[in-house]
Amino acid sequence: MKPMLSTELNVADTTAEKAKIEVKNLNFYYGQSKALKDISLSLPERSVTAFIGPSGCGKSTLLRVFNRIYELYPKQSADGQVLLDGKNILDRSQDLNLLRTKIGMVFQKPTPFPMSIYENIAFGIRLYERIGKSEMDGRVEQALRRAALWTEVKDKLNANGLSLSGGQQQRLCIARTVAVKPEGILLDEPASALDPLSTAKIEELIDELQADYTIVIVTHNMQQAARVSKQTAFMYLGELVEFDRTEKIFTSPREKRTQDYITGRFG
Amino acid sequence: MGEHTVASFDEDLGQISRLISDMGDLAGSMVSGATKALLTSDNALAQRVVSDDAIMDARQRELDDRAITLIAKRQPMADDLRHVVGSIRMAGDLERIGDLAKNIAKRVGSVGISATPRDLSHSIDSMAQLVLIQVQGVIEEYAARDAQALAKLRADDERIDVKYTSVFRELLTYMMEDPRNITACTHLLFCAKNLERIGDHVTNIAENAYYVLTGTQLPANRPKLDETAIPAPAA
Repeated sequence: MKPMLSTELNVADTTAEKAKIEVKNLNFYYGQSKALKDISLSLPERSVTAFIGPSGCGKSTLLRVFNRIYELYPKQSADGQVLLDGKNILDRSQDLNLLRTKIGMVFQKPTPFPMSIYENIAFGIRLYERIGKSEMDGRVEQALRRAALWTEVKDKLNANGLSLSGGQQQRLCIARTVAVKPEGILLDEPASALDPLSTAKIEELIDELQADYTIVIVTHNMQQAARVSKQTAFMYLGELVEFDRTEKIFTSPREKRTQDYITGRFG
Repeated sequence: MGEHTVASFDEDLGQISRLISDMGDLAGSMVSGATKALLTSDNALAQRVVSDDAIMDARQRELDDRAITLIAKRQPMADDLRHVVGSIRMAGDLERIGDLAKNIAKRVGSVGISATPRDLSHSIDSMAQLVLIQVQGVIEEYAARDAQALAKLRADDERIDVKYTSVFRELLTYMMEDPRNITACTHLLFCAKNLERIGDHVTNIAENAYYVLTGTQLPANRPKLDETAIPAPAA
């Protein structure tokens, strides 16, 4: 992609690509404390966007707005607009279950359900669809294949999901997410607890999944952001400092704060 | 430029900068020495230039080792990454400048310039001065982080190309005038070509240095005024 630059905001204009998610003047509050300040950016469809920045900069908070998972906690609120295919998901009328089907999420620590590998996948599908056993078998296999886990677990689908290794558990969570056919996937530090080989498998998976899904990844590992994403947003103290093509951010960023952060000169 | 949170990172980058600076100084001294040896038929000085090339090669290998280790250890980003990769490339050009200066020095015994007219060496001398200014200038401007001066320096290579064309024609004339000049002039032609190539390596260094400092590339096309390869029009 070739984003044009908006001189005002240091934000890449991705209008050349179809935007899947458009954030406009978004503010977020933890009680009285403002955690996101007037964020505007546009995430292209079927592409990986990385959010980077020091702890507390607001990157995970922004991620959590995209499926409104923050509403599970008291005293957290957002204003502004987050348009998913042009529709504002912050509207009160937004069906949250439907939203979370469309926008799946994978967390830092693998969170498989304490049930069989098969049921980890089938459980989510059953919440939204009524399908027969053979079709369900097909869907489970498809999801596990999509998450590059099928060959490792096909002979032990009844084993407990918690018996898998950390890396396999994380891919099981990704399989569970893609099983309900989402449009976007949010990854919050998905590989930070994994060994290098498992991390490589997750990154390979992200690379494959972007052909079908709009992916947003939050990571503290800048090499990982550079490897997997097409565009990168650098956030600091609740502000979006710079948003541009990933290769631009990691080779010649425009903002000094971005440069200081990614080169380890911050603070 | 601010300091890194990890101080040893700054030390590693500083060592690479020092090596580039040392190699630049050595390249300048080799070009200067080789030309002086050529013009004064000073075999001892020529020999020193030849042995300096081994030092240049060793510094390049040291820089490569340090740069590769730094990439493996630190995974540099942005201006740090440009600095490290740019240094590897600049060191390659400086090492080639050393080779070319050595080539000039190795011809000193063969030219026998002291037995030839002063005119024959005068043009080479003024061309060498131009080249030396470029070699010394590129390292100074890079150390001073002056991107605009580097862009100008790159464009100034044009003057060396023009001078080379003039030297080429002049030496050709001497050869036609008196066949006894052919041996010395042929050696001098090779020396002039080596000087012209040194100028080209300086432009490469200037382009790399400009990219390291600014993150943007200079335009690819630079006017080339070496016309020695262009056939003369039919009479």
